[in-house]
This record gives sequence, structure tokens and C-alpha cells, in this order.
Amino acid sequence: MIITKKALPRRTFLRGMGASLALPLLDAMIPAATAASATAALPVKRLGYIFMPMGCDIGRWTPGGTDGKLGELSPILKSLESVKSHVTAITNLELRTAYPGSHATSNAAFLSAAKAKHTESSDYYLGTTADQIAAQQIGHATQLPSLELSMDMLQTTGQCDNGYACVYQNNLSWSSPTTPLPSEAHPRIVFERLFGEGGSLAERRAALRKRASLLDWITEDIASLRRNLGPADRAKVAEYLDTVREVERRIQKAEADVAKNNLPADLDRPLGVPASYADHARLMFDLQVLAMQGDITRITTFQLARETSNRTYVAETGVADPHHPLSHHGNDPEKVARMAKINAFHVSLFAYFLERLKATPEGNGTLLDHSLLLYGSGIGNPNVHDHTNLPVLVAGGAAGGMKGGRHIRYKEPTPLANLHLSLLDKVGVKLDRFGDSSGKMDEIFQPLSV
Amino acid sequence: MPQLAVIPWIGLSRFVVLGGVAWGGMSAVFAQNSGAVTHPTEKLIQGFCLDCHDDGIRKGKFSLEGLDARNPATNPAIWEKVLRKLDHRQMPPIADERPDAETYKRVVAELERSLDLAATAAPNPGRTDTFRRLNRTEYQNAVRDLLALEIDATTLLPNDEPSHGFDNVTVGNLSPTLLDRYVSAAQKIARLAIGTPRKVPGGDTFRVRADLTQEDRIAGLPPGTRGGTLIPYVFPQDGDYEIQIRLQRDRNEQVEGLRKPHEVEVLIDRERVGLFMVKPTGSDKNAEGVDAHLKFRVPVKAGARDVGVTFIKNPSALIETERLPFLARFNMHRHPRTAPALFQVTITGPFDAKGPGESESRRAIFGDAKPLVETATVAEQDARAREILTPLIRRAYRRPVTEDDLRKPLQFFREARDENGFEAGIEGALTAILVSPRFLIRVEEDPVGLAAGSVYRVSDLELASRMAFFIWSSLPDDELIAAAVRGDLRQPKLLEAQVRRMLADGRSGSLVTNFASQWLYLRKLEAATPDLRLFPDFDDNLRQALRQETELFFESILREDRSVTDLLSADYTFLNERLAKHYGIPHIYGPRFRRVSFAGEPDRPRGGLLRHGSILTVTSYATRTSPTIRGHWVLENIVGEPPPPPPPDIPTLEDNTVSSFLPMRARLAAHRANPVCASCHDVIDPVGFSLENFDAVGRWRSAEGGQPVDASGGLADGSTFVGVAALERALLQRPEHFAGALTEKLLIYALGRGVEPFDAPAIRQIVRRASAEDFRFSALILGIVTSTPFQMRKTP
Repeated sequence: MIITKKALPRRTFLRGMGASLALPLLDAMIPAATAASATAALPVKRLGYIFMPMGCDIGRWTPGGTDGKLGELSPILKSLESVKSHVTAITNLELRTAYPGSHATSNAAFLSAAKAKHTESSDYYLGTTADQIAAQQIGHATQLPSLELSMDMLQTTGQCDNGYACVYQNNLSWSSPTTPLPSEAHPRIVFERLFGEGGSLAERRAALRKRASLLDWITEDIASLRRNLGPADRAKVAEYLDTVREVERRIQKAEADVAKNNLPADLDRPLGVPASYADHARLMFDLQVLAMQGDITRITTFQLARETSNRTYVAETGVADPHHPLSHHGNDPEKVARMAKINAFHVSLFAYFLERLKATPEGNGTLLDHSLLLYGSGIGNPNVHDHTNLPVLVAGGAAGGMKGGRHIRYKEPTPLANLHLSLLDKVGVKLDRFGDSSGKMDEIFQPLSV
Repeated sequence: MPQLAVIPWIGLSRFVVLGGVAWGGMSAVFAQNSGAVTHPTEKLIQGFCLDCHDDGIRKGKFSLEGLDARNPATNPAIWEKVLRKLDHRQMPPIADERPDAETYKRVVAELERSLDLAATAAPNPGRTDTFRRLNRTEYQNAVRDLLALEIDATTLLPNDEPSHGFDNVTVGNLSPTLLDRYVSAAQKIARLAIGTPRKVPGGDTFRVRADLTQEDRIAGLPPGTRGGTLIPYVFPQDGDYEIQIRLQRDRNEQVEGLRKPHEVEVLIDRERVGLFMVKPTGSDKNAEGVDAHLKFRVPVKAGARDVGVTFIKNPSALIETERLPFLARFNMHRHPRTAPALFQVTITGPFDAKGPGESESRRAIFGDAKPLVETATVAEQDARAREILTPLIRRAYRRPVTEDDLRKPLQFFREARDENGFEAGIEGALTAILVSPRFLIRVEEDPVGLAAGSVYRVSDLELASRMAFFIWSSLPDDELIAAAVRGDLRQPKLLEAQVRRMLADGRSGSLVTNFASQWLYLRKLEAATPDLRLFPDFDDNLRQALRQETELFFESILREDRSVTDLLSADYTFLNERLAKHYGIPHIYGPRFRRVSFAGEPDRPRGGLLRHGSILTVTSYATRTSPTIRGHWVLENIVGEPPPPPPPDIPTLEDNTVSSFLPMRARLAAHRANPVCASCHDVIDPVGFSLENFDAVGRWRSAEGGQPVDASGGLADGSTFVGVAALERALLQRPEHFAGALTEKLLIYALGRGVEPFDAPAIRQIVRRASAEDFRFSALILGIVTSTPFQMRKTP
């Protein structure tokens, strides 16, 4: 066997074969003397969930394509043109558990597929959300098991929607049926959670070296405690030393990562919150890209705005109406058209995210190749708080066998939970059921055909 | 080692109450007993206990069969338990035949006498952990005392898990995450203390609790203002800082309560540095821009400053309404804000930094000596570093400094100095001190060569640390270290003088904010969220006021050195307007707390701890009172005889099984019909019933659900009574029980370990002596400091 440093990206290889085959991973596809983890053979390992509030104008959302291929992009989805081959639209998904229809349950059921207990008190009860199931099973490999982000800088209290506690409306992620996870909207606070102080490559290295020398000193100092101790206390000292060694190991890993991972040379900490919504949202997406690039976390959730948000997007869309009242458009065609502009704007932010991921190399592929992203809303038609025919997109790369550029239309309303189940399956979390799931949705991962 | 067993407090003149001599005579009587069952303990055990507690039945998995009742010291663990049950009249059960009062008394005295005698002859101080890490509170206080730097350790270190009711007990662990956080914290603190310039400006964001009502003046902000917050903030350098303000939004993203223009004022150390107008949105309802302009830069000198952000009060804020207006206003649907409120303040800087300035922490580190000239030689710099670091290390390591202690910090100093100059060197050394286990971990070492199970006195410096962490939750100061080095702490008079000095010092406030807040469950208040529909007036203002009432009240007992029995029976408390309105007490205005006396009012609703809304709230559910939780709280914390934990698999009381229209008492009665539940709940619930005049947020009520409140209750000793006043009287019938319960809690906190049966003689000793001083607070503290478990330790 000829050993060569040149590895064949799996896709190129398949294209070259000109065949429609699911091939086992061939040895030759892994370069000879590099770690498997740094190559295109890297399996999908990240899940990202992006929540769009208050549904959309499904008429202007649903793209063309009836034969399984993603046809002409609809007005709302137009901005996805450059990443079209990575995107699959799924039509006719529903959230049965979000009924009776409300804004609170739209948000609550989106990732949990669970029924929110109808209460305003602290005895709220939902279900562990898909992202947190993943975080609990594969999150330990990274510094942060998961990252919960949002755009709204405040948490509402008191009464929220239709007698549902505010936590249902505020929190997408729940680590248990009774533990909603608060999200963070302040870019600086998110940055510090991810990178501490940040700085240039040299500064980050110097900071790690400084920590390493402090730990050397702690080791030496702890050892000096071992003077006149009984066996139990000596065991304690040994335990302390193990702890220090573990922290040293983490620092060494971080030092190695500084050299290895392809984070930009300068990590400048954002100071404030950008004044415009669009800039703020893009910054939040940038932070997610950085978090993935540095492999600081593999699970992210991001709420583009809360349900019932009355935000206006004048600068971004020219529409002066606040979003929530506009979404109850009463089928007034002009209002629907204006709402669709807001929907299209939200999708354009997702397109920005996908472009960033696609532009960031990882192994022999890109970050997008090793990610699976779900974009959607818990409401179909916002005018009547309907939770059927949800707008849902899945995006990702070939490394997971995800076949983009498709439009899957279900004849019968199909639970969104089926999609959750399949996405979890792809990152190695095997579940038989999730929420009201009735099966998996492996269609989106069918083998590539050329 | 007999010389080590000398009881250190014997010499305290005011305390000569008990000693081997006083009991010698009775000891002889004791020895004469033999043959037939004439010994009072033996008689009582045979007559009243063995029916259930023999080897056959072993009720409660407890048998007294075959035990030597004449020599309880041979099995103190069992006999201390018997003693407690008898002393509290908890056994035999109320329903069964019980000994007469005289027999109870005699046997209790007899058991105490022989157990105490044995403890005096062979003290057992138990063993505290050898390694105890500073917990978060202690760390914060230590940084304050070491560097004159106020930090918020909750942002730097994770929570400490409590055991035995306190968070300084299980502190031997050191997880990688925790160590990592300690290292980061040390770096941050050292940089802040020195005022080292950073490449990019730093920033902090402060958020106001969403359920804070901001319709009136907030304590600490000037009169004529409304709402907002006061933020203590350490500015790391002289320079320009950017302050950005965001206002509270409702769920529709509109600025709440903004119906006409309002003025926002920013103050630093009570001086106005900014004044802005905020105006309602126009017809476009675009609220994004309403507070976008609340962002400005201001030059600030380095050091600790108070940043106030508030609103100028509009004179026309009076609400006209037919109904009694809600006190809480933070909820857009039920009781919306009538004026805009602050959501968050972000401070970013320094921009255009002008140097480290003259901060308190720099003075603490560099002293008043002239700064080194730039031309100082390396040797001069080294000498100066030594001068600066020696006193810091002495305080940080809580002992005189050795050459070895200086070696490593000086090495860190030189490395950083060579790279970035003298001050960077000091920062490097300071970081090294702050991560050193000699600082982070309190070590108590066994003397060399002692056999296993030996009892010895802890060293003078270890004792000084024990005292400082007990009374101050912090490092010993220079004077205490010096006293320890001189050997003063071995002299009872000088030891007492140190304790009194420490109690008089402001740092002893940690006995309130750290000890009492844990003992009384005040820390649970932060998470208390009573049901908003049932208690619409509950907001953060009330939550903070409730906490403050209890803290100020406990502090008054401490500062005025009152009898601890006043904690239950006092006829005064502390109120501000918010709390007085909650309690329905008129004529108290403004956010400031003041002492309010109810002397001469037999029906006073307020006063001692059992009438404090804070405690009554944290022992209730979100929707209703819980006589069970309240009863348990009283038995655990006031009586000192908690019921055993519930057996596994016992369902909680289902509200559905009994009509929810019935008063709580009737519902609980249905539940106590089950004999398994009844065995404990017959003791627990009646205590809580007597507090039923207080609702789930501590307000007085005479009716519940249209029916008059029935506050009749009872205690385990069989006494029955009605209402809180009678409960207080019943609890103080035997003040030594309450004093004992408090002493036990203080001892757990002081030692950082759970209290064991062998500690009981020491606790009785402390209580007996305090009793001679009317249970003054200082008598309990002194008693603990001079007690066997505090002064001594046992080898493993």
C-alpha cells in the first residue's frame, strides 16, 4: 500500500466514481500519519437550533420542488441561494403538544415536543429538550456542554401568555422537566464564558503559560503539606495533587488547541451590545461560529426573538409595525406581505450563519460539513396560533450524510419530534422515542446521488 | 498525655461553676449503689422504656436492654440520646404512661452528672478535618481584609454545598473546576488590586431583579429620586468609563410605564455625572431608540465608588384609585409599572487610562512609603518587594513568615518584573500568594509523635485562625496573630479580651450575614416566589425588607449583647415603610429601617423571630402555609430536637384527596389519620398550627377561607396552647433548651463539623455558664471559644 499524505475528500472521491453509492469509509480516505479527527472523515458532531418566533406567511415560505429536489427558493427563503445545496426544506411538520394553541407553548414545545403544564406558578413542568439530551450525552467532551443564546436582554416576570408561566416563553432549553436554562443575550458575557479574556494568539498562549506556572507552584506547595500526616490526610493530599494534574492536563490541551484549532489570531472581546438588531444578531452568530471553531461547545440554541415580541425591524426591512400585532394580520394581504418581510429578514440571518460556517475550514471540510442545524418556528400560521404546517429547515454538511438541496413534503402531518429524533441519532444519541414522535425521519440522510 | 487534657477555661474567674470537686461527693454516692434496682435511671428504664426498647421489639431500631444504666459513661452515644429524649419529655410518648415530673428531673440530672463527669476526666474534642478550604464567603472576606478590596465572590467562585445546615462543613474537596476558578479569581483580583492596565477595556453588567418595584425611593439613593439601583464598583484605574443604561421592557418590548417624559440621573459617590430625558415612543411604537442615548463617558478616579442610577421623582406620581393600590408594581397585566424602571447598567472602561491612581487596595499593598524611583536598581527593587510582600504573606498565611514562604512569590515577582516592570512583579507575586494552598486551605496538623486517639490542644496560631473564621468568617488580623505568637491566647483573661475585641469589631457582622442567615434559612428568601395570584404584593422590595428585618434584629442582640432568649421574646423589631405596610403597621415612612418598639402591647403581632415575615415565608409553600414545615423548622432550630427524617416512599400530602376548601388543619388531620405518619406528625404539626395566624408571606390573619383561624397547638412535652405568644412562652419555659439548640448550631459553624453525642457535655457546659449570665450572646460565643472541641483536637 502506498502511503501518502494526501487524503481524498470523501465527496470528491464519490463524485469521481460517478456512482450513487453509500460507501464504507475507506482507509485510503484517511491521510496516513494524521489523526482521524482532523480529516473530512470527521463525522457530524454538532447540533445547532435556531428558533424563529411567531411562524410566518407559509405561502411565501414554501419553496418550489415537488420531486424531492429543492426547487425555486420562495421570497422568504431567497437569501439562502448561496447555500442552497446545504439546505433541506421540510413541509408539513406539526407540534401536537403545543395545543391548545398559544405563544408560550410554541416556544416550549419547539425543542421538547412536550406539553407544558398549564400553570403560572413555580410548579411548571415541561420535558428535557432535544439539545439538552444531546448535551448530557456528548457535551462532556467540550469545555461547555451547551450554549443557550437569545436576543432579548430581559426576562419577563409575572404573568405571560394565556396563564402559562413566563419560563415557557423565555427558555428554549430545559435540562430537566423542571429546570429551564436561562439564555444569554449579552455578547460580552457570552464571549467571556467561551474565551475568558481573549486576546491575540500570543497573548492567549502567554496567559496559558502563566496558568501553567501557577499550577506548578500549587503542585510544589501541596507537596509541602505532606509533612506529618496520617494515612487519611495523606490520601487527601494525593487527591489534591490529582486535581492539580487534571487542571494541568486541561491547560495543556488548551495550549495544544491554540496551535491546532483554527480560531482567528485575534480574539477581541466585544464590549457592548450593538445598537442595531441585525448587528447584534450577526455578532451572536459569529460567537457561535467561534465556539464551534474552537470546539468549546457542540450544542447551541438560539432564540431570534421571543414569542409575542413587539420588536420592530424598520431599519432592516422598512416595516414599521411591531412583529406580534402584525402576525395577527387577519388575512389582510398588505399586512401579510409586511410580515413576510420580517420572516425573510430572520431567514437572511440564518443564511449569514450558514455562509460563515461554510467559509470556515475544518479538517478537509468546513464547519458546516460537521454540523446539523435546525431552523424553524413552533407556529405555522400565527394569525390563529396554529401549530401545524410549521416552517422548518435543516442545514448541514455531507460528512453526516445529510443530503442538501432537497424539499421533503409529507402528505400527512408529521411530528417535529421525528426530526429531533433523527438529528440526535446523527450525533450518536440513540433514542427510541422523543416527545410525541412516531418514527424517525432518516429520509434527509439518504445516500448521495449524483 | 495528661498535661494536654487540662481544661483551658478553669481559670476564668467568672465561670467557676463546675469542676471535679463540686461533684466528688455525689460520685461517692453513685459508687455505693449496687444490688437491687434502686438506681433511679435503672428504675426508669425498666419501668418505662424496656416495653418497647428491648432486644425483641427494638422500636425505632433502638434497644436499651442489658445496658449499664449506672455507668452511662461506658456508652455515651446511647445515653446522650436517652438523656435528650427524657430532658425534652419526648419519651415515653405522650399517649403512654409517663414518669412523674420529679423522676424525670432526677434521672436527667443523674445522667448529666455522670456523663459530664466522665467528659471532664477524659475530654473528647472530636476531630476537625485537617484540610479545610476557604469557602466562598470566607474567600471574599479574606480578600477584603488582605487587600482592602471589595469583590463579589459569587461571580468568581461556585456555590459551596451545605452540610449540617452550613456551607463551611464539607470544604475538604477541591475539584478541577474549582481549582481552575480559584486560579482565575486570583489573577483577576491581583490585577484589580494593583490597577494594572489592560490591553482592552473591561466591563461589567449589573441587572436589577425584574420583580423590583421602582415606584419609590430605593434605600441609599438621594431623596427626591425614584427607583433604580446603587452599585458598589471598583474602578481599576483613573480614566474614562462608559456607562450604558437600559430600561425595563414588557413582553411586547415596550418600555414599561413610559407614558410621559422622565429624567434619568447617574451619580458617582452621590455626585451627579449625568442627566438624561427619556420620552415615550411616537406612533411607530418603536421602543428601540427610547434608551439608546443613555450612554456616556465620564472620567473616574480609581478605587471603590458607588454608582447610582435612578429617576428624578415626578411630583405627580400619586395614583388615584378606588381600591387599595398594590404595593408591588412590576407586572404589566395585573399591576403594571406607572413609571419606567431600570433594567441594567453596563460599566465599560477604562478608556484613555491615566494610571492606577490612589485606590484603597494600592494603599493596603504599597503602604504610604514613597514609590520606587524609576532608576532603582534590581537589588533595591528586590528589597522593596520583600518589604511589601512580607506583611501580606503573614496575613494571608495567618502566621509569621519564613524565608521559604518568600522564596516562590519573590521568584514570581522577578519573572514578571523582568518582563513588565516592578508593579507587574508585585502583581505576579500576589497572584502566587492567592493561589497558594497555604492561603486557600486551612491546615490543622497533629503534633509529631502522638499516639492514635490522643487529645491535644491546637496550636496558638491554629486557635487564632479558628477564632477569626468563627467570629469574622475571615483571616485573623495582625493583632490576633501577634497575640497568638505572644502566647496570650493561653491566658483566659487575655483570650476573653480578644474575643470581646473581635465581637466589638464590625467584621463580627458575619455572625449575622453568614451564621444567622444560614441558621434561620434566610438564604432561602432569595428563591422565595409566593404565588403571584394569591400574593400579588410580593416583590423584591419586600423580599429584601424581610431579610433586613431579621438581620437587623439579630444584629441588635449581638451588638447590645442581649440575652439570646430575646430572639424569641423581644417586644421590638425593625421596619421600613414597605415592610410596615405589609405588616399593617401605620406611621412608618421611607425606605430607611428603624427600631420599632411594641413595649406594653400584650397583643403585639411583631417582635421575636417567630413573628418575622422572613422565616414565616421561607417555611411556607408558594400557595399556602405549611404547619409541617414551620413545625419542623421550630423543632430543628429553636427546640434543638428535630424529628427523624421521613421514611422513604412516603407520598407528600395530596391536596386533592381532601377538599381544598377545608382549612389546612383539617387537611393535615386527614393525613395524620395514618398511624405511620402520625408518629412524627403528631409532634411536628401542632407546633406549626400555633403559627397559623400568619399567612404564607407572614401577614397577620384572623380568618382563613372565611373561617376563623384556629391557632391551637402544642409541644412534644404534652403542653398545649393557642397562638404565637403562648408558643414563645412554652419554648422559654426551659430557656436552656433554646440556648442549647443555638449553641449546637454555633458549634457546628465554629468547628466546621457536625455535632456528635460526645460534644453534648461541652454544650451543656457552655449553656450552664451562659445561664449564669442570663444567656447573653457574648457568653455563648466565649463559651464556644473556650470549650473543649474548640480548643482541642484528637488524633485519628
